[in-house]
Amino acid sequence: MAKIEFRNVVKRFGAVEVIPEMNLVIEDGEFVALLGPSGCGKSTSLFMLAGIYLPSGGELLFDGHVVNEVETRDRNVGIVFQSYALYPHMSVRDNILFPLRFKKTPRDEALARVKAAADLVRVLELLDRRPSELSGGQQQRVALARALVKEPQLLLLDEPLSNLDASLRLSMRTELKSLQAQLGVTTVLVTHDQIEATTMADRIICMRAGEIEQVGTPDDLYLRPSSLFVAGFIGSPPINLLSGEAEGGTVTVNGARFPVEGASGSLTIGLRPEHLRFGHTGFSGRIAQIEPMGREILYVVETGMGAVRVLEQGSSPAHSTGEQVNIGFLSEDSLVFDTAREKLIAGAHVRAPT
Amino acid sequence: MAAPVISTASVAASESAVHWDALAARARAVRRSKAVVLYAFLIAVSLPIVLPYFWLVTIAFSAKTGVAETAVLWRSMAVLVPTVIAFWLTAAVAQSRRHTWIGIAAVSAIGALAFAWLVGPDLHLGNFIFLWEPDFASVVRSRVGEIKGAVQFPNVWHAFGNSILIAGAQTAIVVTVASLAAYYLSRFQFPGRSSMLRSLLVLHAFPVLTLIVPMFLMLYWIGLLDTLFGVILVLVAFELPFAIFIMKGFFDAVPWDIEMSALTDGASRRQAFARVVLPQVRNGILAIAVFTFIRGWEEYIFVFTFLIRNSNWTMSLYMYWVRDDVMGVDYGVVSAVGVFYLVPSLILYMAAQRYLMQMSIGGVKG
Repeated sequence: MAKIEFRNVVKRFGAVEVIPEMNLVIEDGEFVALLGPSGCGKSTSLFMLAGIYLPSGGELLFDGHVVNEVETRDRNVGIVFQSYALYPHMSVRDNILFPLRFKKTPRDEALARVKAAADLVRVLELLDRRPSELSGGQQQRVALARALVKEPQLLLLDEPLSNLDASLRLSMRTELKSLQAQLGVTTVLVTHDQIEATTMADRIICMRAGEIEQVGTPDDLYLRPSSLFVAGFIGSPPINLLSGEAEGGTVTVNGARFPVEGASGSLTIGLRPEHLRFGHTGFSGRIAQIEPMGREILYVVETGMGAVRVLEQGSSPAHSTGEQVNIGFLSEDSLVFDTAREKLIAGAHVRAPT
Repeated sequence: MAAPVISTASVAASESAVHWDALAARARAVRRSKAVVLYAFLIAVSLPIVLPYFWLVTIAFSAKTGVAETAVLWRSMAVLVPTVIAFWLTAAVAQSRRHTWIGIAAVSAIGALAFAWLVGPDLHLGNFIFLWEPDFASVVRSRVGEIKGAVQFPNVWHAFGNSILIAGAQTAIVVTVASLAAYYLSRFQFPGRSSMLRSLLVLHAFPVLTLIVPMFLMLYWIGLLDTLFGVILVLVAFELPFAIFIMKGFFDAVPWDIEMSALTDGASRRQAFARVVLPQVRNGILAIAVFTFIRGWEEYIFVFTFLIRNSNWTMSLYMYWVRDDVMGVDYGVVSAVGVFYLVPSLILYMAAQRYLMQMSIGGVKG
């Protein structure tokens, strides 16, 4: 197990600076997620941890030792790829055994460890099969067993669930999380799926264009997003963002007037769909579309400020399409951002128009 | 009121049913006639290719005292051609797959019987005398009369061995070098990579015959003229570009993830290459091995130019001299040598056909 540290790490590919400067500490035994859209540098960071890419500058530390120059094979890192990258010409047993061959583990012990790892991810009965004879979920488990069999000090997961179907993804999420807790191995998950990140990770590192936007627990990122980017990226259905000008304690958004505290200038108001309520007061609109989502119903409401999404509890719609509604919210649930700097203005809130 | 409505409906239904059946029957007829025409075309196209081989084999087993037995040839043709046409008719007439198979089996049996009856009695192994008689040349010459300036023939097995050696060594070198070079071209960026890839193709575009004089001088100066090793080097040089290009396509198809995975699993780059990447391109290696071997086996121009002593003869030179020595008189022996020369290629192709077909799948990408 290891504590991982990025100190001013830079990565360039030719003239392109993929990661301008990265500073990050991952505690021993922690499960963190690198979250961001594709091309944000999260996979590059992962490959630097694995030693496949060398940092162009700065220092990468495992347990306080600089590992910039240490070869991949000496890092004792387990990795699960999006494609699983099983060796197609080997049986499942040989796949899981492969990492142990280079460690000069005695054969009996190695086979015992293969069995233990296969048992851990419940593929014990598949040991004699070829990867091509396995389903996606089984291949994923085998890849996980192969990564875990050498007892790595760091486990890297590169979009491990994105090739699975929806129900399998759900169960693998639960399994991965409990497995990580059971083994206590430091784990870095790379994903573009916010649900994967928020459900599994202890901490989320939200990245954008090679820079870390925010580091925090899933709750932090959801309730106190530090920037417009994080606010828009976390949460499903996505947050409503309304931009307008503040003057004399009121933000005017296309005619609607929101009283504001603690901020002025060009502002963007962030309102999560689940914080919005239909009522007698608030801003008005017309229901354009109704999307039942099982336990909740998503209303898309046409307002003077554009489409606003409202999420209501319940399984049968209490309103119908075309109905005129008023939408209100609690002041403490509102988020206020500086439009130009795209940053959260801490402590600022708006109230619903009356 | 209800009755007329029902009757019109049923009439309409029956009318449309007849209509559909006619359409289906017409589609069946079109499909069938298309297949029949297609097979006729394929037979017509392949006949000029198949026939010479058929004649070669027939002559090799039937010719006596140096002259091709035209009567035997015509009789064998009289069996072969009707048999092929009968196959075609069977396939055209048969109503089901089972009928087709039964028909084909029946036609094959009749054809084989007719062949045994009409051609069988004239078949013999006399023309293969070169296989067991080292001084077969004098025997053959005594059959056709005295010949001046006769060629000294080495043992045919010696020429056979030389051919195997040239083709085998060439294959071993090409496969090794092409795999390593193609892997590097596929995986690493280095200055001049793309121009190197382009030049690989250009190298293959020129007729190699244009280089025969400079190659001769080069081999002469470095002292490899009239040595098997010299010929092997030349053949390797000409075969490599294409082999590298084919292999690069196969390596490109191996995902990077697998290699990265091997590295994190503790393998060095060399171990990852040998244990994880190479097994993925096995079919490519087999394909270029077979092609290179057959190229070396059939090589004629370079061995003819660069090899002089008769102890260095390959099978192609042996065949050439057999033809030259008997001045085109003993067709039987020439054909028999041809058949003997052909058999290893045939066996190799049949054994490796499965892998050769995959070359188009492995694909050649730039």
